[in-house]
Formats: sequence, C-alpha cells, structure tokens
Amino acid sequence: MKWKDMIGMSLSNLFKRKVRTLLTVAGVIIGTCAIVVMVSFGIGINESMNTMMEGMGDLTIVQINNYNQTPESTPLDDDMIAKIEAIPHVVAVTPVYTLDWNAVTINSGKYAYQGQIYGVNMKSLADFGYTVQEGSLPGDDFEENMILFGWSALYNFYNTKKTSNNMIFAQPDATGTIPDPYVDPMKDELELVINEMQGNLDEGTSTTTASKKQKPIELKCIGVMGDDWSRNPPPGYAVFMDVSFAKKLQEQYNKINDVDTTNTKSSYDNVSVKAESVEYVAEVEEAIQALGFADTYSMESIRKPLEQQMSTIQMILGGLGAISLLVAALGITNTMIMSIYERTREIGVMKVLGCVVGNIRTMFLVEAGTIGFMGGILGLAFSYGISFAINSFAAAGNSISLGGIVGVGVTGSNVSIIPVWLAFGALVFATMIGLISGFYPANRAVKISALTAIKQE
Amino acid sequence: MSLINVKDIRKVYRVDEEKIVALGRINLRIEQGEICCILGTSGSGKSTLLNIMAGLEKPTKGSVFIAGKNVTQFTEKQWALFRQRNIGFVFQSYNLMPTQTAIENVAMPLMFKGINKRTRTKEAVHMLKAVGLGSRMMHRPTQMSGGQQQRVGIARAFVAKPKIVFADEPTGNLDSKTSRGVMEIMVRMAKIHHETLIIVTHDVNIAKYADRIINLHDGSIISDEPNQSIVSLDEEKKEPASAAVNE
Repeated sequence: MKWKDMIGMSLSNLFKRKVRTLLTVAGVIIGTCAIVVMVSFGIGINESMNTMMEGMGDLTIVQINNYNQTPESTPLDDDMIAKIEAIPHVVAVTPVYTLDWNAVTINSGKYAYQGQIYGVNMKSLADFGYTVQEGSLPGDDFEENMILFGWSALYNFYNTKKTSNNMIFAQPDATGTIPDPYVDPMKDELELVINEMQGNLDEGTSTTTASKKQKPIELKCIGVMGDDWSRNPPPGYAVFMDVSFAKKLQEQYNKINDVDTTNTKSSYDNVSVKAESVEYVAEVEEAIQALGFADTYSMESIRKPLEQQMSTIQMILGGLGAISLLVAALGITNTMIMSIYERTREIGVMKVLGCVVGNIRTMFLVEAGTIGFMGGILGLAFSYGISFAINSFAAAGNSISLGGIVGVGVTGSNVSIIPVWLAFGALVFATMIGLISGFYPANRAVKISALTAIKQE
Repeated sequence: MSLINVKDIRKVYRVDEEKIVALGRINLRIEQGEICCILGTSGSGKSTLLNIMAGLEKPTKGSVFIAGKNVTQFTEKQWALFRQRNIGFVFQSYNLMPTQTAIENVAMPLMFKGINKRTRTKEAVHMLKAVGLGSRMMHRPTQMSGGQQQRVGIARAFVAKPKIVFADEPTGNLDSKTSRGVMEIMVRMAKIHHETLIIVTHDVNIAKYADRIINLHDGSIISDEPNQSIVSLDEEKKEPASAAVNE
C-alpha cells in the first residue's frame, strides 16, 4: 500500500468524525499552549535576569586580582598576559596599571589635572565594552600619546593661579544647567609633566613641582568617556592611557625622584580578561586559575546560582504545561480506542481484502500523529498570540508581577519569549505525543481478527 | 494438480469444558474454474470450512494447499499478500465502507496492492459497469439498495482478478428476485476469467447456479456431485455493459 493512500485514508477518517477530531485536537492545543507559554515565561525571566546582570557588569569579563603578591608567587607580568591571551575563547586582555598618584600632572594652560591615571591596553577598550560620549575609541592609527578622558575627571582640573575657589563642580547651578569644565580636552592643548618631589614626605613638608629634567610631553585626547560604574576600571573619574606609556612615565618619575625599585613588583595588580561569550566564562576562569591566580572574579559567581534557580523555575513551569499535554495524550488514546471499537468490522474487512497489518498500524499511527501535529501547529499559533498579548499588556505599563513570583525584577524586556527552538521543539513534542498515544490503539487494531468481517450482528 | 486441496481438515471448538467438532476430517479438491457450492444447514460446518480455506481461521488438524502452497502455515502477513493476489471475497452483509463511494470501495483491494489511484479508478469503473452500476459509481452504500450494494461487493471481489472468489451466503440478505440477479452476475464474472467461485449457502435455489454441489452435514461431506439441474445463464438478459468484461 502506498504512503499516499495510507495518509489519505487516515485523513479522511479524521475528517469524517469532525467534532471528535476537533475536540481531541483542542486538548492538544491546550497542552501545547500550556507548555509553550510556560516555558516562554521561563525564558523571558531568564532573559530579563541577564539584562539585569549586564547592568551590574559585563558578564563575559573575568577579573584577576593580584594584590597579595609575594616573591614566590607567579608574576602577573606581560609574559603572563601573553599566556592568558592564548587561552581558548579569550577575546582580549588588559592589565589595569595605576600610575602613582602625583607622579605626573596634565596641564592645559593655567589649569592642571592631578588625578587617577590608568594604564590599559588601549586597543582592547572596545572589546571590554567601553564607549565614548565624544570623540572615538583608539583605532588602528593609535599613537602612544593618545589618551581618553573621563567626563567627571574633567572637573578635577583646577586653576593653578588661584588658591581658593579654583574648581568647577559638575552640579547643576541655579538655572539647572551643569556648567562646562575649565578644559575641553578635545580642543585645548594638553601637556604632561613628570613631577619632582621636594621636602620630606614623613615630615609633611613635601611639595611636588614639574621636573625640569624632563621635557613636557604633548598629549592628544581622542575621546571623552562617560561614567560607567559597571566597568573595571571605571572610566568616569580617570584618564586612560596605554599601559606601556604609563609604565614609561612611572620609570621616569622613579628615576628623577630616586625611588628605589629593587623591591617593587613587576606584576600587575589587576588584569581584566574578556571571554568570547557567557558560556565560556567558567572555562576561561578555570584556565586562569590553573595558571596560578586563585583570586579571580566574574559575574559567573552570581549568574550561576541564579541560572540554576531559573532553570528550576523553568522546569516547574514546563512541568505544569506537561501535565496538560499528558491529559491531552490520554484524550488522543481514548479517541483512537473509541474509533477502533467503531471500526472493528471495517478493519476486519480490510484484512480480508488483503490489507497488510503493518499498513493498518501505520494508518492508525498517522491518524494519532496528525491529531498531535495539528494540535501542535494550532497550539503554537495560539501561544504566539498569547505571548504577544501578554507582552503588549506588560509593555503598556501594566505591572505583571512575574518578578514577584520568582523574586527577580522583570523590567524592560519581554515577559514571554518564544525562541525558534521552543516553537520547533513543541511541534515535534506534540507530534511525538500523538504517535505515542496512538501506539497502543494501533496495536489493538492490528490484533482484530479478520473473522469479525464474517460475523453477523 | 488441483487449485485447492483440503487435506484431513479437522476443526474442534472448545466451549468451556465441552468440545464441539465443527469439521471432522474433510478431504476436498477443487479445480481451477469450478463454480462450487458448499450447501448445508446452519451448524453444518460450511462457514468454518470456508473460513479455513480463506485463512480466516486455523484448522485444529490438517492442511489446505492452494496452488501447491501449504497456506495453513502462512503468517498473517503472508496471508495478506496472498489474498491481495489470489483471493476475492463476497460477504453476506456486503461490508462496504460506509463513507466511501462505490468506486472507492471497488478500488480498495487494488489500493492495498499499491496500485496508483488513476489505474485503480479505471479498473473500478470498468468493474462497476460490468455489474451494471455504471450510473451509480459516485454513490455511497447508504444511497444504494441491498442488491446494488452486493453488486458493488461482487465488483470489489473480482477487481484484482483473483484465482478464487469466496462468497459467504451472498444472497442471505436479499429477496429471491434480487438474489437471482446477483447470482447470475457473480457466476458470469467467474466464468469470463475462468476463476474459481466457492459459494457457501443453505439455499438450494442458490446451489442451482453451481457446477458442483458439496453437501455438508454435521461437519462431514455427505455428498459431492456435479449439478444435474444447472441454471443456464439467460443470454437475453445479458447486460450490454458486461461486454466490456470480455476485453
């Protein structure tokens, strides 16, 4: 018997009992809807959790802290950074080198900046998610003297000609506008000088002045970064320059001031590592720890338990949906058994006319599978509708307190998300449920004796 | 070699503790092209004999050979394939699929054989014309009289050109006039293709159409002889459409 004919007979059998078929399909629709909508909630919650965590910090960055350096411990130097860069799925690495406070001063005319200066891998800033609100991040034409200014750091410029009232604060004035800082680094000329210390630090008589042993270095500010506390180092209150440049400046300062460097570390205190994506973070973190740096930190330590909690919630939600699909499965089995009772004689006649038992089984399985498949398709369509309705309702500002249920704030993202895999999976699952439900009835049909065709009622 | 060779067939039913002998040691040979009637009263074992020959029941002892093959040892699947090729069946209560048209009903055995729709529809139309139902091909069983339904049944039994057609009380639900028509069509179709027709009936009038009458009583053959008063097919009543069967 041809497949086409078997399917044709199955479909015509379903079509002939429209109401019963529709009711059975309705059961599958409800079941599929329940699963898809429930799981879509779970995914929505997960997604909003990730959004929330991204607000707390980049999920794909691993921080290596190396403050407790001893002579015996593995140095976290440039060689080690090269090794870390070689770890699979590492996209970028940057050390966070802090230039000594007061080691240098950035001057712009009569205004001076003596604040936080970080030496970082300038070319990797984009990978680490830094952005500029003005200008641009370092590109291929990067030169050593190029720097980035933090927006808040600009308010640290002070007027060297005055001793009091010599600063501007980034606070709204009477008219509600925030005043501009003294210096516009994108336009004004910037000059860096190495400082020389005079007097005795311990006696409190020390002063710093620009050293005459070193010529001032011209700086070029290529961008201004906004405040962003989710990043380490935070860009708002600092100047970023390339790490090699910063180290060179530090060396010059040390030389001018006769700082004894024999005991100072050649290690970085802090290194940031960017993994390819969230799923590799744990792997990268382990690889770093294997290199001898136990003190690492990533959002993974928060994300992991949260994710486990989320998957538990998803399983509970999915389980609730699964119960209704199970009930639908019983409905299919029941319908098919009823149909066999009605068609006992028909099946007997088919056998007498030479229908191979395998074909009879196939026809019943196709019928049951079709019920599952149709239920799946329609259920999916309804699910998309429900999902859309819920999301629009939530977007309209109605607080759907799913967050209240699961203890996570759900804001800004969709409450219900149906990814392609869920849609496809639900369809396959519904069809499978149909086939499995049809298995017992189909085998029963096969066992019907051909003799039933002969018997007289 | 006989087409059908029934050898030492015995069939015993068990009802609770009691054994009921339906058939006791039946031996029978039926040749290709024979129109054979198994005549007997209710309880004579005639239906059991038919069921065993058609593979619907298994005998307690003995074997049936059809075209040299021991069909009593067939598996269910072998039987299905064997029936597709060699056996047609006419039922007392017609057993047409209630939701299908006459054409679909007649074409069904061909569908089981895996013949494509166009070919089998053509064959079915041909057969329906041959049984004189050229004008009722798209009707469903409920829209037809008993005689018409049985003619659809006959068309279905002969459509796959089987070697043997079994008919179980084919006129049991029909009045005597309709019965005559049905019997004539059935016998004529069997003769045209030299097919073996085995009719099981309790009706002596039906037996008249056969070449050979086997009388069964209490599970034993009491007589087996050629029909002396055979009803000749009335040539004048031959329907024009039946000419098509002659090809």
